[in-house]
Amino acid sequence: MASQILPLELIDRCIGSRIWVIMKSEREFTGTLLGFDDFVNMVLEDVIEYETTPQGKKETKLAQTLLNGNNICMLIPGSNGPDDS
Amino acid sequence: MPRRPTSSRPHPPPPLPTTTGSPTDFLKGVVGKRVVVRLTSGVDYRGVLSCLDGYMNIALEQTEEHVNGAVTNRYGDAFIRGNNVLYISAAEPL
Amino acid sequence: MDSASSGIQEPFDLIRLSLSERVFVKLRGDRELSGVLHAYDGHMNLILSDVEETIVIVDHAEGAPEGQGTVNIAKRKMEMLFVRGDGVILVSPPSRT
Repeated sequence: MASQILPLELIDRCIGSRIWVIMKSEREFTGTLLGFDDFVNMVLEDVIEYETTPQGKKETKLAQTLLNGNNICMLIPGSNGPDDS
Repeated sequence: MPRRPTSSRPHPPPPLPTTTGSPTDFLKGVVGKRVVVRLTSGVDYRGVLSCLDGYMNIALEQTEEHVNGAVTNRYGDAFIRGNNVLYISAAEPL
Repeated sequence: MDSASSGIQEPFDLIRLSLSERVFVKLRGDRELSGVLHAYDGHMNLILSDVEETIVIVDHAEGAPEGQGTVNIAKRKMEMLFVRGDGVILVSPPSRT
C-alpha cells in the first residue's frame, strides 16, 4: 500500500504557517494557522479578510480569530492569498 | 455524617500552555473578553463574550450591532444562534 | 467572575432566564419580533404571545448611493406564534439592569 496521507493531515502540517481560506461565498481569509478541529473550524492569527461586495473589494484586518468551518470551501497551504501573485 | 476534610482534594491540574491553538483553547481564552462576531450575512456584533456552546451558539453582553460600519442596535444581552456565525475574533489582546 | 455573577453558564441560560418575559427576536429575511416568551427548545423553536412583527423592506433605487434606498416598514400583530428555530438569528432578553 502506497503511503496514504489524509486530507486533514496535510492541514495539520500547515500549523504555524500562512494559509489561504476560500469560503463557499465571495469571501476569503489569509492568516497564520494556529489550530483546527474535526469540523475544520480554524483558529487563525494576523488575519486579513477579503470580501467582494457590489461596492467593490474590501479588506479587514483581524487579530486571533475562530473561523466557523461550516462555510469553508477550499484551503491553500503556504499561500498569502490574493496578494501572493 | 462527618464531612471529609477538604484538604484531601487532589491538586488542580497545572495550567495548560496557551500556545496550543485549537478552537477549544481559543474559546477558553476569549470568554470574558471583547469580541467581534461576524455573521455570514456580514452583520457584526461587538460585545463581551459571556459563553458559548458546541453549536457556536453565543451569549454576548453589552452588544452593539454594526451594519456597514454603523451601529444599528444595542442589546444588554444577546443570544446568537450558532448556524449564523462566520467567525469570532478577539477585539482586545488575549 | 463575569459569567458567575450573571448566572449564565451556557448560551441557553439567557433564554431560560427570559421565560415569560418580553424578548426581541431577529429572524432571517429582515424580520423582527417582539413578544412574550412561553417556550423554547434546543433548536430555538419558540412560542411567543402578544407578538408584534416588523418587516423591513428596502427598495434600492438604481444608482442610489449606499444606504439611500427607500425603507418600508410593515408591522402586524399576532396573538400566539410558533417560530421555527432555523430562522432565528438573535434573541435579546429584556435588560437585566
